[in-house]
Amino acid sequence: MLALLLSGLLLAPASGGGDLVAIRVKRAETVASGPLEHALILVEGGKIVALGEDLPVERGIPVLDRPDWVVTPGLVNAHTRVAGERSPARLFEPQSRPTFDVDPRHEAWEELLELGVTTLGFYPDGSGIPGQALVLHPHGKTLAEMLVADSAYLKIQLQASASSKKALREAFAKVDEYNEKVAKEREKWEKEQEKKKKSSSKSSSKKDEEKKDDPKAEEKKDTLAPVSQEEEEKKDDKKEADDKKAGDAFVPPAPDEKVKPFLDLRAKSLTAMMSIRKAADYLHLLDVLKKEKDVQFFLQFPLSDDGDLYEVATKIGEKGLTVVTVPEITLQVNSLRERNIPAELVRAGAKLVLTPRFDTLRGHEDWRADVGRLVGQGLAREAALAAITLEAARALGRADEIGSLEVGKRADLVFWSGDPLEPSSKVEAVMLGGEFVVGDVP
Amino acid sequence: MSDRIRRALFLPFSALLLALVPGLSAQEGGEGGGPPPEEGAEETKPDDEKEAKYFAIVGGDVHTGTGAVLRGATVLARNGKVKEIGYGVFVPPGAETVDATGLRVYPGLVALGATTRLSQGLGAAEGPELGEDEFEHSHEGLPEIRWDGLLPVPVAPESHVVGDDEHPELQVEEEGGDEEKSEIEDTFDPFNSFLVLALATGITTAQQSTAAVKLKRYEIDGVLLSDRNLASVTWGLANPTGIQSTRKKFAKAAEYLRELRAWRARGDKNEKEPSRRGVDTTALKVLSGEAQALFRVNSREELLGVARFAQEHGFRPVIEGCAEGWTVADELGRAGATAILTPRGRSPKDERFVRPGGASIENAAKLHAAGVQVAVRPESTTIDFVGTAGRDLIALPVEAGFAVRGGLSEQAALEAMTIVPARILGIAHRVGTLEPGKDCDAIVTDGDLLHYQTFVQYTVVDGKLVYDKEQEIYFAHIRPRPKKPEPPKTEEAAPGEEKAETPAEEGAEEPAKDAEGDDEAEEKAKDEKQDDAKDE
Repeated sequence: MLALLLSGLLLAPASGGGDLVAIRVKRAETVASGPLEHALILVEGGKIVALGEDLPVERGIPVLDRPDWVVTPGLVNAHTRVAGERSPARLFEPQSRPTFDVDPRHEAWEELLELGVTTLGFYPDGSGIPGQALVLHPHGKTLAEMLVADSAYLKIQLQASASSKKALREAFAKVDEYNEKVAKEREKWEKEQEKKKKSSSKSSSKKDEEKKDDPKAEEKKDTLAPVSQEEEEKKDDKKEADDKKAGDAFVPPAPDEKVKPFLDLRAKSLTAMMSIRKAADYLHLLDVLKKEKDVQFFLQFPLSDDGDLYEVATKIGEKGLTVVTVPEITLQVNSLRERNIPAELVRAGAKLVLTPRFDTLRGHEDWRADVGRLVGQGLAREAALAAITLEAARALGRADEIGSLEVGKRADLVFWSGDPLEPSSKVEAVMLGGEFVVGDVP
Repeated sequence: MSDRIRRALFLPFSALLLALVPGLSAQEGGEGGGPPPEEGAEETKPDDEKEAKYFAIVGGDVHTGTGAVLRGATVLARNGKVKEIGYGVFVPPGAETVDATGLRVYPGLVALGATTRLSQGLGAAEGPELGEDEFEHSHEGLPEIRWDGLLPVPVAPESHVVGDDEHPELQVEEEGGDEEKSEIEDTFDPFNSFLVLALATGITTAQQSTAAVKLKRYEIDGVLLSDRNLASVTWGLANPTGIQSTRKKFAKAAEYLRELRAWRARGDKNEKEPSRRGVDTTALKVLSGEAQALFRVNSREELLGVARFAQEHGFRPVIEGCAEGWTVADELGRAGATAILTPRGRSPKDERFVRPGGASIENAAKLHAAGVQVAVRPESTTIDFVGTAGRDLIALPVEAGFAVRGGLSEQAALEAMTIVPARILGIAHRVGTLEPGKDCDAIVTDGDLLHYQTFVQYTVVDGKLVYDKEQEIYFAHIRPRPKKPEPPKTEEAAPGEEKAETPAEEGAEEPAKDAEGDDEAEEKAKDEKQDDAKDE
């Protein structure tokens, strides 16, 4: 059945572009719908156009037959600053992007690509609220070539401290201030509109009366500076001109650049990544967000310090939150009891994103093996694979484009010599947007 | 002459104020620091009977802290407050229960001057929160004596206490920033291991810097019980100008209050309100009853000075240290003082004088006998895994036990760790005893609280079980809880049946009982059950 359907599909693209290529591999880890044995992937125009088990291929389409390979979506590191400098300065720059920290000529990018990493969430530097992350492909000669999106998430660091909580509360208070201002402006504008309607109707009938009435009304408005009649007439002319320009629609004043990101958070057009360090921070985060029900966020935390996050795993799981963390087995506080916090979070219902334990090239080399170790100690395999692909893409807001092997998605593929979570497996080839960028492939 | 008149005039007023103010402060404290309307809205919800949460400690010997001991009684909490204590208490089905049969139940302990790591863990040293030093230095016993040529000169411990006149500019700033609230609500860490250790000791409330904090676990809401209920007042013989300046400030504040009252009494609208300029806020707070004056003094002379000074101004002083208090116990009792003692603290006698002095094991007992309220705090008020073991907060009950060794009654020793510190922190309406209406903060121990061998088995805060010795890694392995002998269950009865029956039985019988007949009714019920068992 599927084959029939597919053949229909295949005909159309075959007549189109010449970049059509079919790849036959041992197994495809689709992430979205489990593994496919003896999989065939058809790529055209940089996208996956067909995918299935033992599919027949139309004659004339070049087939890359690699019966030993395993294909996965390209790995996504949602939280990295590899090849960028770091400093612990405390900042409040929610509008900024780390564009100047990206050096397209850095050799690390190509090496990352060779390790199967095809997408990066490049976060801004500093603690506090340092800015918004970029989405990059580690491939290209200029930043413009590398850049996928210039706003993945707003990074917010929150701790159980009065100053940290206050900074976030005040940021949202400023949005309230701005909204009030807009409401006032709107009211003013509406009054003006009404007045204009009246005056226009009056002007047609009684021009003399208007001249008498108008100055008084104007005076009431501008009590601060009494204006002479001549000037006023000019002003009126100007206003009319302005209104004509802007049309009849009300144009709200532009928000401050530091207020805008929080406005976007409330409007759900931006997601926040809340960086926390311990379980108590999470409760304090909820405390700050008590009134901000609309704000969408996910969590990020290192598992290097005392790591008592198992205390709030159930609470995080109940909300189905996404958590960005590292593949690390930690010890329970004051004990030698090992805890697999990522696995506990998944079991509780949270969505897991795993980044390398160390944000270096070496860390990226060990990444898969570390994730594999977690699987060995109780993390579900599907969740582990999704944690370095689909869920990471979702955290970056690109889940409809990358992160899994699905028809219609970008062809960012990594071909492995074996199981990707096995340390001995190697990257055989990497396809980025339908083109092989790594590997000895014709 | 004029002084005496002034005193005579002042005393009735201040007495009236003192009588009025606890009620006021109780209202304020009851809000838990939050804005009143919100609190009210929150509290109306759980009043819904369906959403009410019940918690019961069943069958323990309940030491309520008020002097009563109810053997084999039940403490029932509803939504975190004690609803009922007694026999034959109807425990609603679905209530969480702790079986305390053979165990003892006490009110949760209140730790004075505890270091902030109890509520914030190790990493929380940032911010303007006062650290350990603030409290550590204050317990050095008698003033240090330095030899100046031939004559000994006592040296006052350095302190940055309100009342020092050295930095008048700073004083002004402090007046402005006086309303600064404790940041504990934003820094509280309900998962930190020191908090768990405090709960393991039986401590459910702790003084953290200026605030009184409920040691809640798993949650951060409503942890602040009171803030700035204590005002430090300078008093030390080594610093006579400090004493003088304190006297001046209190005199001025008293005068201002008199004028204010007179002005209010006259009710003349044209007359200007008396100016508050130059009036010390701390003195004003103490005299108007908003805060309690805290003196850190130890020697006999200083204690006498404080007692007289407090009586002159009609307030009840809280005296920390009070090492030689036993030599002037009657005077302190007459002044209505409260003493914060360290029974295991040592301070030498000043050998220059022929009179009793220095530390005494009987200090607490003698002070208590003279009517002084006694609170206990250990030498070190921190909690740690290493180092000060045995002399820090983990051994708070042992500290009180030493006072018992010196003759203090066991009841007074219990009060010294519960209701008296609660009064000092201005939270006696919430914690300190097990009484209906108060917060259900209770501990269940496997023996006499004051015995060194006793362990806390369960700790309950706001009607929630927050510590179970068997479930935590700290003490579970030391003298594990003896397994209860299984009640002689009949093998024929299916477990499902029993569950279904019990609530129905209780629901039908228990509410019908009247208070006096409870004991008999229970015994009867027991007999009946036994009979049943025999029959089968």
